[in-house]
Amino acid sequence: MGTELLPGTLDLLILRTLVPGQMHGYGIAQRLRQISDDVLQVGESSLYPALQRLLLNGWVKAAWGASENNRRARYYTLTAAGRKQLAAERAEFARVVGAIEKVLNMA
Amino acid sequence: MTWDVHSSMLRACRRFIFRLRRTKLDRELAEELDFHLVLKEQSAGELARPQMGNMTIAAEECRDMWSFLRVERLLQDIRYAARMFLRTPSFTAIAVLSLAVGISGNAAMFTLVNTLLVRPLPYRQPDRLVRITGIFPRAAVPFFRQRTRTMDVAAVSPGSAYNLTGEGEAIRIVGSAVSANAFAVLGPSVARGRIFEPGEDSPGRDAVVILSNSLWQIKFGGDPSVIGRVIALNGINHQIVGIMPPAFSYPSAQVQAWVPLRLDASNFLAYWGGEFVPLVARLRTRATLDAAQREVQPLIGEFRKTFPYPMARDWNRESTAIPLQRDLTGDIRAKLIILLCSVGLVLLIACANIASLLLSRATSRRKEIALRAALGAVRLRLVRQLLTESVLLALAGGGLGILMGMGALSIFKSLLPPSTPGLAQAAIDWPVAAAVAGLALVTGLAFGIAPALSASQIDLAQAIRTGSQRSTAALWTRLRGGLIGAEVALTVVLVVSAGLLIKSLYTLSEVRPGFQAQQILTVRISPNSSFCTERPACIALYDRLLEGARGIPGVADAAIASTVPLDAEQPDLAVDVEGHPKSVDHPAPMLWSGAISPGYIGMLRIPLLAGRDLTAADGAKSAAVLLISASAARHFWPGESPIGKHIKGTGEQQWRTIVGVVGDVRQYSLSKAMPDWIPGAIYMPYGQAVQEDGHIPPAMTLLVKAQANTDGPAREMRTLAQEQDPNVPVGPVQPLEEVVAGSIANFRATIRVFISFAAAAILLAAIGIYGLVSYWVSQRTYEIGLRVAIGATRQRIVSMILAQGLRVALYGIVAGVIVALAATRFLASLLYGVGATDPLTFAAVTALVLAVAIAATVFPAWRASRIDPIKLLRVD
Repeated sequence: MGTELLPGTLDLLILRTLVPGQMHGYGIAQRLRQISDDVLQVGESSLYPALQRLLLNGWVKAAWGASENNRRARYYTLTAAGRKQLAAERAEFARVVGAIEKVLNMA
Repeated sequence: MTWDVHSSMLRACRRFIFRLRRTKLDRELAEELDFHLVLKEQSAGELARPQMGNMTIAAEECRDMWSFLRVERLLQDIRYAARMFLRTPSFTAIAVLSLAVGISGNAAMFTLVNTLLVRPLPYRQPDRLVRITGIFPRAAVPFFRQRTRTMDVAAVSPGSAYNLTGEGEAIRIVGSAVSANAFAVLGPSVARGRIFEPGEDSPGRDAVVILSNSLWQIKFGGDPSVIGRVIALNGINHQIVGIMPPAFSYPSAQVQAWVPLRLDASNFLAYWGGEFVPLVARLRTRATLDAAQREVQPLIGEFRKTFPYPMARDWNRESTAIPLQRDLTGDIRAKLIILLCSVGLVLLIACANIASLLLSRATSRRKEIALRAALGAVRLRLVRQLLTESVLLALAGGGLGILMGMGALSIFKSLLPPSTPGLAQAAIDWPVAAAVAGLALVTGLAFGIAPALSASQIDLAQAIRTGSQRSTAALWTRLRGGLIGAEVALTVVLVVSAGLLIKSLYTLSEVRPGFQAQQILTVRISPNSSFCTERPACIALYDRLLEGARGIPGVADAAIASTVPLDAEQPDLAVDVEGHPKSVDHPAPMLWSGAISPGYIGMLRIPLLAGRDLTAADGAKSAAVLLISASAARHFWPGESPIGKHIKGTGEQQWRTIVGVVGDVRQYSLSKAMPDWIPGAIYMPYGQAVQEDGHIPPAMTLLVKAQANTDGPAREMRTLAQEQDPNVPVGPVQPLEEVVAGSIANFRATIRVFISFAAAAILLAAIGIYGLVSYWVSQRTYEIGLRVAIGATRQRIVSMILAQGLRVALYGIVAGVIVALAATRFLASLLYGVGATDPLTFAAVTALVLAVAIAATVFPAWRASRIDPIKLLRVD
């Protein structure tokens, strides 16, 4: 089982994962797992609602395309608004993490 | 996260699009999830089965995101509620109608109160406008203008009649004479032309007139080129200089034109005597109402000393500055508030009724609600469903209420004097509709909350097992009894009010007005005063009219009089009375003075109590004589015969000899003999008559006694009058009985409204009691069956139920009588000849309400006695 994510961070991670290029849902989950050395395991019950939320906000768009195994798969792409959102959320995340570290490192 | 309106709008838009494409999205999501599973199985060979739950949750969460969950749940609640209501149409109709009755009255009253008492007057900075109470001679206008430091003072006389000639048929209009600065003080701008310029109230410059929008439309068809045109008012040419906008009305909505009030110090009589005028003023910048009030009395004191003749020491002692709005609504404020309270009561009764209906419904729906709870509906959701129902009911009632309110508004409007500024413009507008909708919502929540809570407090297991209606929370039942009791109490208050008013009307209709109005037709003829500068011209005109009228077929008799009873004319005359010298403390008494032709007293059957009637011999050239009324005789010569004593107008040289005493006539109103300051009446023969300004009265009413009740005499009468002179306006022909009825039309209408309030209240209360008792019976069916089974007689069951219903009714009646005893004194201003706590009325009302309560209880009680114990016990 993966570690519980901080609320809101899943959206950020998905957006970041999509920066190199389009990807389908399963791919996103796999990539997150690989990169985080199996620490972050995202279940379908949070991944797909998160993707819908991003669609609803207009931060990603989806299109059907052929997959590696020749099946139809839905590919997600970052939009311009998504990029802006990613930058903003990244800065905010860095600020919060910095603050948390400060508290943890106090003398 | 940045969050602004724009992005949330976009989001809502996308959500809406998603919602529309939900089926497609659903399919796509299924495919996507399926694809995910396949890949997952392939890559890891994991067992996918246990993860299926995840997929369902994912799909469900996504679906929620594509829809407006809250809205859809609400729609669902509403659909469900609507279905429930359609299934019980009589319940729905009763609830919606009773609420609509309550709301409609409130919508109409809100509108009136908003228009007349709350909304600012349509003048510039209306809160700075004040009225200096009391009335003043023209000389006071320049005096106040120069001496006051806190106000800009203007004079605006109440409307009086003017003849408008030179533009088609001569007509009679209502005009107000104002000081030249009046419009500058009041602050409305003209729609066209200009307001009066300073100095236009001085002689020689005052031949100007400003028209109201309505007169401009009626007489000139809204022609913009009338500015600069000349019209004749009372025979004197005036140039039209301006037209007011439609919304402007002051001092009353009936005023159709404004002319300058001539301020001419050289005309002694008009300047210091004549018609006194009201003063209005605008507070100067930084002056307060308080400061203005402190200034008024000292100024009046100083002004009193400048009078060229002695004035009473307490002259205008009560005068002060009051806000103009309070002055304008002074008389109707009390009436409005009484009506507002009454409709409030009706609404309260309606609410109590609906709450009680919903309460009993909630109880009979226990099984259904328990079932829904068992199927997983949380309490909040149940409460929300029930509240949705009551709000829906309230909104339906509110909507219908606003529609009915438009009708109610026109009825209420007819209760108020039509001259009230702004009354004609009163219409249900958005703020009022919003207020009413708010009221309906609050009402809905208020009467929904108790039933909703009651219904959601359910012992699941028990309710489902038996569906029983035996186990009820006693608290809610008691609450219901309390509601109905309160309803009965409020009903008693309203019915007592209506009863007192009906008794007043009865007393009023039994009043002996001192004359007989049957079979008499009247028509008002009003030549210009310039027409009567030569007395013989006017006397000749009316002699011709009388002669002509007597010649009309079907006319038995004809007479003329300067006023007829109750026609709203007030011909006061200051007089010198022989043996009653004037002093500072006893200024010249005022008498109601009529100018009549000899036949008048006999024609109206006014009794001749002493002396002789006027005769044809009492003409212009014979010795001056007059008749006095019994009250005047008593006032000046108590215990003495007034015959042969003398009276004259204050400006006259010659005494007039009293030749007869006649009965008192209700000249001013049916309910009062005369105002306090008028001790009685005098009647002069027309040929010798004078009015206040020393001239013969030009405007007279022609009266004929017509035997047949046909249109003939009326038509011929009017033609006859019109033939005399095209420049003389002739009013409509009116039966004297109509004039009399018209004087209390207002009062009758008020009573009709109260009766309808009371009727609505009684009906609602009857429904309430009936509902309550039927509910008891249905609750206790089992118990009653058992009682019958063990030998209780039918009579016993009936009397048991009756007693229970009547106990609630009696509590209500007792409470109602106590409240009414305290509350009806606020009605006192509307009552005539009956005390506010009239025991007879109270007793009658108690009996009536009790009878209604019994009637409403008997049917369910009878039904209870028909309960068949065998059937009942077998079923349960």
